[in-house]
Amino acid sequence: MTGSLTPTTVMLVVAAFLFAALPHLAAMPPWLALAIVMAAAWRVAVEVLALRRPNWLIRGLLTFGGLALVILHYGTFWGRRAATVLLCVMIAAKLSEMFRLRDARVVAALGYFLIATQFLFSQQLLFFAYLVIGCALVTAALMRVQRDADHVAASEEKPAPRAAQAARVVRDGFVLMLLAVPFALVLFALFPRLASPLWGMPENALDGRTGLSDEMSPGNIASLFADDSPAFRVSFDGPPPPRSERYWRGPVLWRFDGRTWKRLFYSNRAPERTPRPGPGARAYTVQQEPSERRWLFALDYPVRAPEGARLTADFELINQTPVTTLMSYDVISQPDFRDSVDLMQTMRRFALELPEGSNPRTQAHALALRERYPDDRALIDAVLTWFNQDDFFYSLETAPLGRHGADEFLFDLRVGYCEYYASAFVVLMRAAGIPARIVTGYQGGFWQAADEYLLVRQSDAHAWAEVWLEGQGWTRVDPTAAVSPSRIRDGARSALSGSEGWLSGEWLYQLRNQYDRLQNLWNRWVLGFDAKRQQNFLASLGLDDLPPGIKAALLVALSGLVLVPLALLLQAATSGRRRPDRLERAWLNLRGRLRRAGIRPMIGETPLELARRSADRLDNGHELITLSREYSVLRYGAFRSENAIIAFGRKSARWRPRLRNPSSLKQS
Amino acid sequence: MSSSRFSTKHAFPEGRWPRAWLDAVQVRFGAWLRRRGPVHPPLTLGYRQIYILPTRFGWLVGLLLFAMLLGSLNFNNNLGLFTTFLVAGIGLLSMHIAHRNLDGVRVAGCVPGQAFAGEPLALSITLQDTKDRIRRGLVAETRGLPTAAGVDLAAASSDETTLWIPTRQRGWMKIPRIRLRTRHPIGWFEAWSWFWPEHKVLVWPKPADQAPPLHTAGSSDSRSRPGDESDEFHGLRDWREGDPLHRIAWKASQRHQSLLARQFTRPERDRIVLRLADAPGRSLEERISILARWVMEADRNDCEYGIDLGTESIAPGAGESHRIRCLNLLGEFG
Repeated sequence: MTGSLTPTTVMLVVAAFLFAALPHLAAMPPWLALAIVMAAAWRVAVEVLALRRPNWLIRGLLTFGGLALVILHYGTFWGRRAATVLLCVMIAAKLSEMFRLRDARVVAALGYFLIATQFLFSQQLLFFAYLVIGCALVTAALMRVQRDADHVAASEEKPAPRAAQAARVVRDGFVLMLLAVPFALVLFALFPRLASPLWGMPENALDGRTGLSDEMSPGNIASLFADDSPAFRVSFDGPPPPRSERYWRGPVLWRFDGRTWKRLFYSNRAPERTPRPGPGARAYTVQQEPSERRWLFALDYPVRAPEGARLTADFELINQTPVTTLMSYDVISQPDFRDSVDLMQTMRRFALELPEGSNPRTQAHALALRERYPDDRALIDAVLTWFNQDDFFYSLETAPLGRHGADEFLFDLRVGYCEYYASAFVVLMRAAGIPARIVTGYQGGFWQAADEYLLVRQSDAHAWAEVWLEGQGWTRVDPTAAVSPSRIRDGARSALSGSEGWLSGEWLYQLRNQYDRLQNLWNRWVLGFDAKRQQNFLASLGLDDLPPGIKAALLVALSGLVLVPLALLLQAATSGRRRPDRLERAWLNLRGRLRRAGIRPMIGETPLELARRSADRLDNGHELITLSREYSVLRYGAFRSENAIIAFGRKSARWRPRLRNPSSLKQS
Repeated sequence: MSSSRFSTKHAFPEGRWPRAWLDAVQVRFGAWLRRRGPVHPPLTLGYRQIYILPTRFGWLVGLLLFAMLLGSLNFNNNLGLFTTFLVAGIGLLSMHIAHRNLDGVRVAGCVPGQAFAGEPLALSITLQDTKDRIRRGLVAETRGLPTAAGVDLAAASSDETTLWIPTRQRGWMKIPRIRLRTRHPIGWFEAWSWFWPEHKVLVWPKPADQAPPLHTAGSSDSRSRPGDESDEFHGLRDWREGDPLHRIAWKASQRHQSLLARQFTRPERDRIVLRLADAPGRSLEERISILARWVMEADRNDCEYGIDLGTESIAPGAGESHRIRCLNLLGEFG
């Protein structure tokens, strides 16, 4: 006889599923999330309101309809987001036929899987709470299903109300989960990690997560300004660089079609010359948040690529695989380095190329400038002064540009942000015959003084220009700095203060900075615990040179060690015995001393009987009799005084049985 | 010595392969179990009697965990790994809890009920906690049968669970090996113990569906004669010396100012003797089955009846214990 699902169980299983699916629901299109929640609610309603069960037609429709919706929206099952959304949809469809214990079990257990898949997207500190609560809920649901399966007949006392039953089983789930935590910690610290992955992550995560793109079209970077999430964190070996030098180099863009800036294929080759670390070099560790892209970021100019990445001719760092989990890398940068003192003809041609017949006004202006300033340096200064002196404004609220973007911006609109300025500036330079290109990346960052790291947010995304000057090579020019010096000095936040849709208040900003300090510690100690860290950790314990067999044995032994206190805790948790009170403890201790002295208390013996029996064999038996009398009075007497009990405890704790020696025993 | 005898008997089982071999393995397995420790109730389950393995669902979760482990390791996803280890820890604990749940349970006794052949026989199993622990979801089952409902035990208490065992033919039946199992708390591991109740149960013959009408023999005069307390209450009369004290109707006596004694009568009943020779049928079993039907009918009709099987017989009588005696004889006969 196997039992059947009770409404309480169904509700718990559905609740566990919904909780496990919560972050997934938030990430999928709202109509799909709503459909899943509705399916769950309907399943509960079927149980509670005793509605009719869905027939095969409805179930099939739900399953295949869900499948179709996911394909329609994502175009594929492949890719993490599509796959996890599909999993959620399928579990929701499964709810409609969850009428057997077996199905309920499977749905509940998949909750664990659903929780684990969330960490493919984010491993933020916040999600640790999700992990812990989710696992406890799923465990509670499984416990509840097992109760139904055992079909324990209701005890004669009236059954507890549904809410109370659920609360009790959830509490049990939490207890079981908490007891498993030490075990998980040991495994986490000691379980060997893979130094390199066995297979790659499907690249099309299709999550629309914003990160710096490898091309720049109007609005690309602006979309990042609203994203206050961290892009990466940097800790420096020495003091941090001044604000004006915090240009984190990302994709370098050459090709312009009038609207979009793109990379150049030739950029992918290796640099002809790399800087040699000398005085002024900066060493730092970047901890990059998952970006789904392959770009790594460094200050000008990285000396060499970190492991698993390569350095391009434009001094971009490109990782072998997209950064899908928190990733840490060490970089050394040498600021005073001349990039491409000689510019090859082909490259010069690319750096001067403009779309045919575009931006006539800019072209004319460039020629006019050229005539007035034959020297490149002077021309650039003139343009920057123009940006600075004339009525150019830095703002996110601007208008989209048309076919002659640079013309419209420089002569009509004159309101924009880094993208607009960098793009128009490079067009102007190229028209004037100065080789120029766009560099995208991040600029600035928030210095967490207490923990000594630099927090660079997505909102710090920036675009600037590089011009090639005779004898100096590629030289950074930031036209935005000319327009809005505060953007560079104090970050995008200050430059945009007062504009709508930005962070709503200073305190919130401070709070987020504080939270990021925690997140940083979390990243360093939990998420950054990889094969290398583990090796260091084991080395610090002096365990690194052990052969693998011994390591495995150690793992088992330590896990066992963790289980011992667990067993004791369990003993306490499942024991039906009530805790003895102070008085009883005192008496039990006394009995223990008697037992160790060789006098075994018998079952059913009253304290006084025990004392009288023992008195014959003890030198201080009369004291024991007195103590047992006092105990009986305190225990069973009408008057109970806490002070008397405490006094009894002290007195009995001092008492030790003194056995009469055998010869005197014979005499008596 | 007994083991050598055992091995010569079962080393080369006769009969068709693989059935005979499987049976032989079963027998050996049983013998091995018995050697490991006490297996007959009353017994207290300890580590020697408790076995534990993952359930099918447990294996499934194990597979899921393995997938989670591989994925997390591959992507160096530390929270994923932590989830995996946490769930593995929960699983390990659940194994320990399942074992603890059975450890120290005492199978205090098994009391078989009575059944006609073909009907299930109730076996009531008394379970006791000896370690002052709360026990949850203890389930008794035998091979190929629906399991009994689970039992919870409060700390240091006892409870009963009833297992229904099918019967096929009349006669003495050995109660099969019984498995006491628990999947508490989350059903990933099953801890179980086997035990053999030493009882043999006498299964009564199945009463025939169709039987010739009962021959009533003997006098049918229904004069009453005095009886004892087991009979019907008839009325009150004055108390006489020699009447037992407990027959005094105290309340009625108080009202009548004199002692009254309760009087019982035994209604005169039909007396019949059920003879095997009278029962039609081709085989002994059929005839015994018809006799069983007659016994049931005679009992229902409130007759006094006896049985005569030729070699064995029971003098006429009535009542529950008489019926059981008759049915027992029929069950055992032959």
